Amino acid sequence: MSAAEKLLLREPWDGLGLPEESALARQRAGATFGIWIFIASEVLFFGAIILLYTVMRLEHPDAFAAAARETNLVYGTLNTALLLTSGMLAAVASRMNEGAGARRTVLWCLAATAGLGLAFLAVKGIEYREDIGRHLVPGPGFPLPQPPAQLFFAVYWFATAIHGIHLAIGIGLVARLAILGWRDPAFLPDNPQVEVSLLYWGFVDIVWIFLYPLLYLPGRAG
Amino acid sequence: MSAGLAESPTALADRGELALGLPESYLAAGHTLGSWLTSTDHKRIAILYAISITVFFFLGGAAATMVRLELFTPKADVVGADTYNKLFTLHGVIMVWFFLIPSIPTTLGNFLLPLMIGARDMAFPKLNLASWYLNILGGLLTASAMLAGGIDTGWTFYVPYATVFSNSAVSLGVLGVFVSGFSTIATGVNVIATTHTLRAPGMTWFRLPLFVWALYTTSLIFVLATPVLAVTLLLVVAERAFDLPIFDPARGGDPILFQHLFWFYSHPAVYIMILPAMGVISEVITCFARRRVFGYTFMVYALLAIAVIGFFTWGHHMFTSGMSPFAALVFSFLSFIVAVPSAIKVFNWTATLYRGQIGFESPMLYALGFVGLFTVGGLTGLFLASVPIDVHVQDTYFVVAHFHYIMVGASVSAYFAGLHFWWPKVTGRMYPETWAKFAAILMFFGFNLTFFPQFIAGYLGMPRRYHVYPPEFQIWNVLSSSGAAVLAVAYLMPLGYLTWSVLFGERARNDPWNASGLEWRTTSPPPRENFLGKPEVLAEPYNYHPEGAPPVKDQPRIPAQGSLT
Amino acid sequence: MSAGPTPPAPSGARIWRRALLVWAGLILLLGLSCLAAWAPLGGWTSAVNLGLAATQAALVAVLFMRLDEAGPLVRLTAACGLFWLAILFTLCLTDVLSRLANA
Repeated sequence: MSAAEKLLLREPWDGLGLPEESALARQRAGATFGIWIFIASEVLFFGAIILLYTVMRLEHPDAFAAAARETNLVYGTLNTALLLTSGMLAAVASRMNEGAGARRTVLWCLAATAGLGLAFLAVKGIEYREDIGRHLVPGPGFPLPQPPAQLFFAVYWFATAIHGIHLAIGIGLVARLAILGWRDPAFLPDNPQVEVSLLYWGFVDIVWIFLYPLLYLPGRAG
Repeated sequence: MSAGLAESPTALADRGELALGLPESYLAAGHTLGSWLTSTDHKRIAILYAISITVFFFLGGAAATMVRLELFTPKADVVGADTYNKLFTLHGVIMVWFFLIPSIPTTLGNFLLPLMIGARDMAFPKLNLASWYLNILGGLLTASAMLAGGIDTGWTFYVPYATVFSNSAVSLGVLGVFVSGFSTIATGVNVIATTHTLRAPGMTWFRLPLFVWALYTTSLIFVLATPVLAVTLLLVVAERAFDLPIFDPARGGDPILFQHLFWFYSHPAVYIMILPAMGVISEVITCFARRRVFGYTFMVYALLAIAVIGFFTWGHHMFTSGMSPFAALVFSFLSFIVAVPSAIKVFNWTATLYRGQIGFESPMLYALGFVGLFTVGGLTGLFLASVPIDVHVQDTYFVVAHFHYIMVGASVSAYFAGLHFWWPKVTGRMYPETWAKFAAILMFFGFNLTFFPQFIAGYLGMPRRYHVYPPEFQIWNVLSSSGAAVLAVAYLMPLGYLTWSVLFGERARNDPWNASGLEWRTTSPPPRENFLGKPEVLAEPYNYHPEGAPPVKDQPRIPAQGSLT
Repeated sequence: MSAGPTPPAPSGARIWRRALLVWAGLILLLGLSCLAAWAPLGGWTSAVNLGLAATQAALVAVLFMRLDEAGPLVRLTAACGLFWLAILFTLCLTDVLSRLANA
């Protein structure tokens, strides 16, 4: 236990002059706090994109309803379900990782989380191909008659691409944990990096939870 | 490097000096370039930042010199219109994002925050180093935009000009700023986490030096404002590179929305520049007046209030943009409110000086200059916050003079005040005081000569961002350009004598100014671990005299001594 | 921030049971969103859909991202993100809505 804690303890927390266990607890609390500050920052990042969408939609409500009808609801809903499931597995991994008993479960959950993330990107890729095939890219040959409908698709491409990049970073972080944990049995248990990565994953989930009703659901009724 | 050097307490110390048995300083912990470029020591990262922002400062300064040279006469005789646009854009972009925003937080802040709260390092040392690399990467991208032909949009990148019409290297420059934004977010996360988690025993929130509070509130802005700029700039790149219709009014976009998003960051960015400056000034004025700061808790609340209210006022940059008159009214009102905490700070510094034993060492000269310049800049800000005056002077040199009083007059003066104040701690060396005093006074006069005439020219109607102007404005421009020459000398002088002091300066004592802060309770320069034992804080900050004691009359002030003996 | 003694970790089965329950709720809300999008709610469609999304987001933030167990500092950090977002939206929409109203 002590050797593992020494492995996990980083500067400057190792210089606090505290017993290893409480130094590690403070390091973990610091890491969790740090990632939450970053998440607060990211809230403003994605919030600005959603504000852009809101203002454009307020200015062109009909064109936005017409444009949103063109998105593929099946892919969108499937992807939402995939991410919600991955979020659950991430939460289980994060909780199971406290204490040394459940290393196999944690490893399995991490791998499944990253796998579902990859599945999301794969579905998104198929969807992108279909969108391009239907010329739903702003510019010449755009199928909808109202010019502001192109604004909707500008936001659609921008927001989903930025979300996709965030998700890809998340997949990298989670896969890294899975690989390192698979190689070294002492790496995962109680490691603050697990919670940090999985909190980031949760945030990327939440972003999609809001993008889904904004991009896929308007204009369906009537 | 030879063994003799490594044994000395400062890496650069004279080998003939007496060995004092002091612990090895952070400067001696490695002499190779690699030992600097891979160091996670907050003190070394601060030095890396100091070097890079100095380079950017003189790059931006060179562009400003060309601008002032062109404006010496009413006609175009040095550069043409296009080159002039690129010069003032370069000046603005480099100075705002690669000098002013990182200046105090990443150099003095990085160096002093752990020392002031009694910590060994920042909470995330690797992130700290990564933030420097991001800053350099961003700076290189933006500088390469200059090589790729320059940017002609102005530092604000207003759309639709920047997205639809400009044929210059906007995307590259904007990406550079985007990358550097993540550098400041990383610094902000680090500062906030460090302040919360690594304070020494006894260092309660209301015992923190005001400089730490200033860094903390600045970091709130870093973390909460910068992401909005990042998205805005990314949207500009998306519109340019992928032809997405986002802000282009011809395709249904809303260019005013760009300004909202841009100023949501860029107005608080002014507070990013001024809050750390206020922190430095609070440290310097208390030390050289030998007084506790007047109204410590109010100073803290004023910092917090400025940081929070600063987010509510961005619209005063947009009164003439086509924003709704109702919104203009709201933003005007909110902008007046932010003057209240700013005024509290000025009054409290003045009250701190009252009946103090004031010494006029060079850091204090810079600090007193700050108070005057900040007051002028702040008061003219009130003119600009009221809609009718703003409509009159919008886009004139009045605005240019106003924000230079805050961003250059106040912030840069404070940066130099802090640089001189903590120089002995950072380098372990004393600088030649007479030169420093001369530079401080020259900077104050040079600054006012440069920018005060711009208030007048602007009020008379001279617009900004033109390389030619009607001849009746020439007198003001000649004054301004002459002042710029003086200012350039004043900025170059510290580069000379501070560099000299590193090599030949006298050894500094641990606490050459008899200051009260925790950062002085260790060797100069500090060891890698910062403190020799585990520091513990027992008293209030600025413990320069007994609590509640009246100022002592007619006592000769003990002059600060630079010598080690 | 809990630097003190931590309560004993719950058993694996309990963690799974709880997580699956929340997951089922999230999927249910997702289904409801789809239904609401097609339902004849008129102008309320967007409000209902965003309300459902906000509920889902709150479930993820509180139960998956463990805000329920987090200390006051972490909760305050999350709240700060939302508060500053509210500043951005409120003041920006003050302009946009009053411009649209007078257009």
